[in-house]
Amino acid sequence: MRNMDHTLHIQLSNCEGAIIRALGLMERRGYTLKTCSVGEPEGVGREMEVTVTSSRSGDLLKRQLERLHDVFYVELKPAEPIKPHSPGIRPINSRA
Amino acid sequence: MNPSTHMVPVLRSGSQILIEALQNNGVKQIFGYPGGTIMPVYDALVGSGLKHYLCRHEQGAALAADAYGRVTRKAGVCMATSGPGATNLVTGIANAFMDSVPMVVITGQVPTALQGTDAFQEVDIFGITMPVVKHSYIVRNVSDIPRIVNEAFQLAENGRPGPVLIDLPKDISAGMGETIETLPAPLPEASKPDPVAMQQASDMLSRARRPLVIAGGGIAISDSVGAFRAFIERTGLPVTTTLKGLGIMPTDHPGYVGMLGMHGNGAANHVVQNCDLLMVVGARFDDRATGHLSQFAQSARIIHLDIDPAEISKLRKADVAIVGELKPALEGLQPENKANATWLGQCAGWKKEFAWRYDAPAKGIYAPRLLRDLSRAKPEGLTITCDVGQHQMWVAQHCSFNDPLEHLSSGGLGTMGYGLPAAIGAKIAKPEDMVICVSGDGSFMMNVQELATINRYGIDVKILLFDNSALGLVRQWQEIFFEGNYSEVHLDDNPDFAGVARAFGVKARSISEPEEVSQALDWLLHTEGAAMLHVAIDSMENVWPLVPPGKPNHKMMSAKTADQGTGNGK
Repeated sequence: MRNMDHTLHIQLSNCEGAIIRALGLMERRGYTLKTCSVGEPEGVGREMEVTVTSSRSGDLLKRQLERLHDVFYVELKPAEPIKPHSPGIRPINSRA
Repeated sequence: MNPSTHMVPVLRSGSQILIEALQNNGVKQIFGYPGGTIMPVYDALVGSGLKHYLCRHEQGAALAADAYGRVTRKAGVCMATSGPGATNLVTGIANAFMDSVPMVVITGQVPTALQGTDAFQEVDIFGITMPVVKHSYIVRNVSDIPRIVNEAFQLAENGRPGPVLIDLPKDISAGMGETIETLPAPLPEASKPDPVAMQQASDMLSRARRPLVIAGGGIAISDSVGAFRAFIERTGLPVTTTLKGLGIMPTDHPGYVGMLGMHGNGAANHVVQNCDLLMVVGARFDDRATGHLSQFAQSARIIHLDIDPAEISKLRKADVAIVGELKPALEGLQPENKANATWLGQCAGWKKEFAWRYDAPAKGIYAPRLLRDLSRAKPEGLTITCDVGQHQMWVAQHCSFNDPLEHLSSGGLGTMGYGLPAAIGAKIAKPEDMVICVSGDGSFMMNVQELATINRYGIDVKILLFDNSALGLVRQWQEIFFEGNYSEVHLDDNPDFAGVARAFGVKARSISEPEEVSQALDWLLHTEGAAMLHVAIDSMENVWPLVPPGKPNHKMMSAKTADQGTGNGK
């Protein structure tokens, strides 16, 4: 399978380690992180939008993230072919 | 989670609150090792009524807690101090994670104000263990302890079980706090299996000409053995098991074709490669079970039953997935037809063709035959714990099991050193059952210090130690796949194992001749208290069959084909 970009919108708890746990899972399961932004919306918890590249399925990553106790909700956006110029990893909290 | 609460404010130390929270969750026994930052908890332990087993290495404590969790299906609890105490637990935590074992791990941590300063015995165990825990916590407030402990047990024991770590800074465990007693939150109601998927699966099973079921460890974990056996009796389907599925079907059941995979039975590997429908129950397509994945059961459509949605189509696409508790799914599947006689006849033919033989010429004691004899002689309710290596595969091949809890083996992680601490944990969990640790000379030395734990508490475990003066499985691979270029596998300088055992107060005997086996096994099984039988075997004995890495399961090597040069040389 060829590499694809997968973009996921993740709502998660603001407990210690929640963000690093989710990001660590992505890398460990074979998804290379391309962009990441973290926000602190009104209400409870945090939200995160990430784009990852992998030959593995975005849906599988969604289900793996949903297993995490800290993760409340994951939305997988439609997969895209790889973009030629990656914007790189944006600083955490760039959207906050 | 939102635990229901009783508003009873009480002022106590964090450690006292922790001990009480553990007791509220049904904990009676803990495996651990004290040290600097966990000292407040050990202080509160005295007089608490909790029984603490001092293991002689934190890894031993974690692996004993793992086995305790497997046998009881309740979280085994282990505890250690910060820094090296915590890092020594990591192998045991990873072992529990890979095999989905409920465990709660408590680690001491340096005081909050010192965290992040490279303080004495500070490591980020929360970070280190993140890839191998189901969840983890750092406690920041004394008042959070009851909630965190309750959550930890619920997470560890429910759904797909796993280890949960609680890192407890010393200022929290020593600090005083006002807490509100909490009770565990009620569990969410288990979802029912999807009726559409259930109907599709039943239809596929009715239509299949060559169906097969793979029974995995999930059936034992979810206590669904009865429902699974009833399903098999109802449908007449042939069954193979993974390593962790051994015992789900009685070994002598006519429809059971043996364990599949790298060192599986030839019958199981041929049946799986020829089936047209594969129903996988609580198993995860591990590479040691499937061989070359894209050539695994190529003609088969897949029905996958698992509690973990993330296992569906992870490695092999499922045509139908039934996600959730296995028991209601197994009870609800009602195919119209029983498995057809022609296919069952074919399976029986393979079973006959690949039945284990014990007449191969062997120098000295032949370990597979000894294990078969042990199975024949064993009392009811015998639990075998294994280490990792050749002996582990021989146990899987040649011992008979009537229940999956009779066989405790480190499947996913393959942890050498599991066997002895696992025997301790299993015996403490089920003191009425006989527990035998089957080990090898390589593995045994990995946690040999736990002989002291056995001696300290008078734990009645038997040890059957196969000694081939080698790291046997690595030596076998070097023989077959590395042209006999033996590298760091010879253990000719092993200690006198029987003497070592005696030094720890464990009775011991050594044998090396086939005619000694019967009487020695009798001695092992009938000696009161802990005992070791040390068995010297041929260092060149191999485990057969063997599916070479990267090959499909039906391309098995045997002693015969290896002699003919099917391997890459000897």
